[in-house]
Amino acid sequence: MRIMIIGGGAVGSYLAGLLLQQGHHVTIIEIRETAMATLRLTAPGAQCLLGSGTDPELLEAAGVHLADTVVAVTGTDETNLVITSLARFAFDAPRVVARVNNPHNSWMFTPTMGVDFALNQADLLAHLIAETIPSPPAQRLSEPSTGGDGG
Amino acid sequence: MRVLILGCSRIGVGLAQRLDLAGHTVTIVDPEPAALARLPASFGGRQLSGHVLDRRVLEEASIEHQDALAAVTPNDDVNIVAARLARLAFHVPRVVARLYSPRAATLYQQLGIQTVCTTTWGINRITELLSYAELEPVASIGTGVELLDAPLPPLLVGRPVSALARPGELQVVAISRDGRTFLPHPESRFESGDRLHLVVAAGATDHLVDLLRH
Repeated sequence: MRIMIIGGGAVGSYLAGLLLQQGHHVTIIEIRETAMATLRLTAPGAQCLLGSGTDPELLEAAGVHLADTVVAVTGTDETNLVITSLARFAFDAPRVVARVNNPHNSWMFTPTMGVDFALNQADLLAHLIAETIPSPPAQRLSEPSTGGDGG
Repeated sequence: MRVLILGCSRIGVGLAQRLDLAGHTVTIVDPEPAALARLPASFGGRQLSGHVLDRRVLEEASIEHQDALAAVTPNDDVNIVAARLARLAFHVPRVVARLYSPRAATLYQQLGIQTVCTTTWGINRITELLSYAELEPVASIGTGVELLDAPLPPLLVGRPVSALARPGELQVVAISRDGRTFLPHPESRFESGDRLHLVVAAGATDHLVDLLRH
């Protein structure tokens, strides 16, 4: 599979390494020149491009048309949403995955914005942590409401 | 009309002020209270302090009941996302996004978001001012049609407007004469001192230049 990752920070480079191990073809777009050196070390087999992932010309030059999956994992939610919109509606990417940085922004990560799968890191982590904490002893609930909520 | 302005930048302040004066119901949102403080005391609209992509803030601004939205924050990505959400999630009938990146502006226009690229406008306008030309570009309509202004060449005085029409290529849409602008009939005649407002198909500009010079 051909995977295009936009955002080569901690998440993007780790993901690239993982996908390369599984034998996928990986292209990474990263805007910070300082991150490029680290990226070449963590994901040596990936094609790395320096530039903005919201630049349609760069996406095209990077072969977005050929990608089976586009993954937007920059640290800025609005940037990820611009990338997902472009990937889906301008370049017809078959599968679009995005990272939600701020859980309050998760409402925007919908198919309308080109997102097939939204991964909400903080939310996942919070739930996993919450699961490790034992439930408090049962408490007497207040009187049940008569109307009910149907669920 | 009810208008929601996202971003109290210079352009946001100016827009809010103008639309408010024109009698529209204006709501303006900015995360920085200091930015909202730039609004003049006379501003009669509503001001909301909050992040422009925060659902609660948008709902508090009654986004679903707005007739129009202008996304004019200093961040292109925020403006694009806000404009798309307004259009697709909240069904705001008229949405405009201000962008700095000319490359993105054209693409988003194709994706159904009306964009205003202040950079492109600035470049065009400054080029015009630096190089005086008879034909003054006023606006682009989509990608294939230009709206231009031109002074009437003396040789066309007394000729009918139809003399300067080429179906599919160019057409005089309005004439300014003695401080007044009107839409001419094909049989209306040009008068000395007229200023012409023309629409020209891309590629037909050279043709127009030839017509104006003869």
